[in-house]
Amino acid sequence: MNKYIMLMLLSVLSITAYTLADDHSGKTVEIEKASDKTIECADSCLVRDNSFNPSVSMILNAKYQQFSADSGDFAGGWFIGHEGERAEQEGFGLDHTEFAVTANVDDKFRGSSVFAIAEHDGETELELEEAYIETLPGFGLPSGMSVKVGRAFWTLGYLNEHHAHADDFADRPLPYRAFLDKHFNDDGAQVSYVLPTDLYTEIGASTLRGNDFPFGTSNDEGNEAWSAYARIGTDFGDNQSIRIGGYILSGNTGAGRSLMDEHADHAHEGEEEEEHEITAMSFSGDSDLMIADVRYTWAPTGNSSEKEVILQAEFFQRIEDGIYSISEHGEEVVAGVTNEITVTEPFTFSDVDSSGWYAQAVYKFAPQWRVGVRYSQLQSPDVPAAFAGEHEGEFDPAGFNPEAYSFMIDYSNSEFSRLRLQVNQEELSDGNEDTQVVLQYIMSLGAHSAHAY
Amino acid sequence: MKNLLLLVGLLIAAPYFSDASLRVFACEPEWASLAEEIGGDKVSTFSATHARQNPHYIRARPSLIAKIRRADLLICSGAGLEVGWLPVLLQKAGSTLQPGRVGFISASDHVPVLEVPTVVDRSLGDIHPEGNPHIHYHPDNIVKVANVICERLCQLDAEHAVYYQNRLGQFRQRWTTAAATWKKQSAALKGKSVVVYHKNFSYLIDWLEMKQVGSLEPKPGLPPTASHLNQLLANAKANELSLIIHTPYENDKAAQWLSSRTGTSVVQLPYTIGGDDQSDDLFGLYERTISLLKEAL
Repeated sequence: MNKYIMLMLLSVLSITAYTLADDHSGKTVEIEKASDKTIECADSCLVRDNSFNPSVSMILNAKYQQFSADSGDFAGGWFIGHEGERAEQEGFGLDHTEFAVTANVDDKFRGSSVFAIAEHDGETELELEEAYIETLPGFGLPSGMSVKVGRAFWTLGYLNEHHAHADDFADRPLPYRAFLDKHFNDDGAQVSYVLPTDLYTEIGASTLRGNDFPFGTSNDEGNEAWSAYARIGTDFGDNQSIRIGGYILSGNTGAGRSLMDEHADHAHEGEEEEEHEITAMSFSGDSDLMIADVRYTWAPTGNSSEKEVILQAEFFQRIEDGIYSISEHGEEVVAGVTNEITVTEPFTFSDVDSSGWYAQAVYKFAPQWRVGVRYSQLQSPDVPAAFAGEHEGEFDPAGFNPEAYSFMIDYSNSEFSRLRLQVNQEELSDGNEDTQVVLQYIMSLGAHSAHAY
Repeated sequence: MKNLLLLVGLLIAAPYFSDASLRVFACEPEWASLAEEIGGDKVSTFSATHARQNPHYIRARPSLIAKIRRADLLICSGAGLEVGWLPVLLQKAGSTLQPGRVGFISASDHVPVLEVPTVVDRSLGDIHPEGNPHIHYHPDNIVKVANVICERLCQLDAEHAVYYQNRLGQFRQRWTTAAATWKKQSAALKGKSVVVYHKNFSYLIDWLEMKQVGSLEPKPGLPPTASHLNQLLANAKANELSLIIHTPYENDKAAQWLSSRTGTSVVQLPYTIGGDDQSDDLFGLYERTISLLKEAL
């Protein structure tokens, strides 16, 4: 039901935006055309930057980690993707080494690509994080509107748009790990529009293939997911500012999202009941995710490069309707001969409601030093007792709610380098307390990056 | 629910009841003030930063996206000063105000830029390959940028071209007279050695023919370190250090440390409009700057 209230709000905003957008006085339109003209270059007009070449940058990022618990598995019922899992290996490890190239293609398009060489438990993987084109004002869309096509960290909550190296903590909070597998970068197209208002108001919508977590492998039926969002933001006085947003991501998992993470097997190791071993588990159906975010910044002296307070929180709610399929090893006796077979049982659920949130505060107390604290929590879905009982181990009938506390301190020698120490206290499954210590460095080479709010 | 929607609607509609003057988005207060000198009541100006903020480190706040989205003319210092935030704002706002357009003034493109580095390497700190962007502290630069502002305002709003040209003429006359007086008044400052915090007074120092003998920052963008301050202290005598100057947005701890050991006075200059009570326009800013420097000698 929430989905519809959210949609209603978003569409009311869009309609208001649409009607107002045409409400330009004649004069403003004229001015917009005039300011569009290119200036004729005199001698004073020099090319001083490298804007004719792509801006290229690289992020070097590594961690040293130690965990007190052997496993960082989430409680039963939470099926976490590949990226959302805690790292298995302790000690030094490269995180994401990112390489970004971006430039205006011509007067109508801008192109950008970010790929990362990532280490996951000893294996090196090449990830195409983003590769998209975006319209420039020269494309001729109404002022304030742009379209992005390709693969991108779509506008969804606060953190999703940002690359992990820009985060205030060394890892993503629990809701991002559980609901988005750290980030959502499906293939698709998004249109966004900044309203011509004094109060910052931005709306947008996208159509997506539905191939990235939380969706599954797509059927060949085209786009199976969509999203919409609205954001507003303003300043309070000279030194405080805020942004609030509402987002919805809705889609069908298509052929199904696998619920067998790498660690699901562990529960069964050493068990003798071979015939009940689960061989496959997946969810197929509709998955709706609603997110609300808020970010507030305050520079007590006016100068944020000296002292700054940043408060940030996000709330997630996911509602899923569909079929959980569980395949098990079984035996059947045909004409006196015992055959090993796979039995697949479908369980239909509707309105499986899980949620999560985090809140964090970061304080820059000296130009190069910041401290931060973060709390995150997940509310497990209610699983019918009968189902949970039958598949104990996969689902947690008690409905344990995972939670995590994080503390960090970081030092930035310049805009381009940062060293961080973070301590996490996580309890992701009942009684499995895990104290984690993370040392991290993040260094950026190349083009001077500009950071979003 | 209904009330909430009504409120949102009103907030969105509110700006449409405001006047129809040209909207000028200035990255720094000095350009907002200059635009007012030329544009008079035909423009409404907004400054993205204030005197307590370091213009190099500004958050790309949502409110700035909204402002830039509706701006008709954008005036920024350029030369990399706003590189950390302006591109994001322009991109997010889907703004047609892009470099090379009539509605986009990058002030440093129109003046002789000082301190253009011959070697660019990050180990030298956050140096701008384009040169020193703090160009507004030289009266000649103000005139050059005023000319450009007038030219662009005339192109954007041809109807009032005569109005803008008249105001430019009046401003230039007042300004050049005042600048000649300030230069005369500051004769005593000529040849004096100063230490700055960051190289944001280079144009002022150049204009007043003073000598910049060091900066409290070891490298541009890096806060002062003990070893660097000791080095400055060691050199202070040889340099016959006369003044230590800094802006309102820079911490004066390091300046006070050096001052207490050398006996040199520390001056906090207003740096831009709003830097102190007297600096409420460009005339006030320059007058106040000269008088503070002279008092401190």
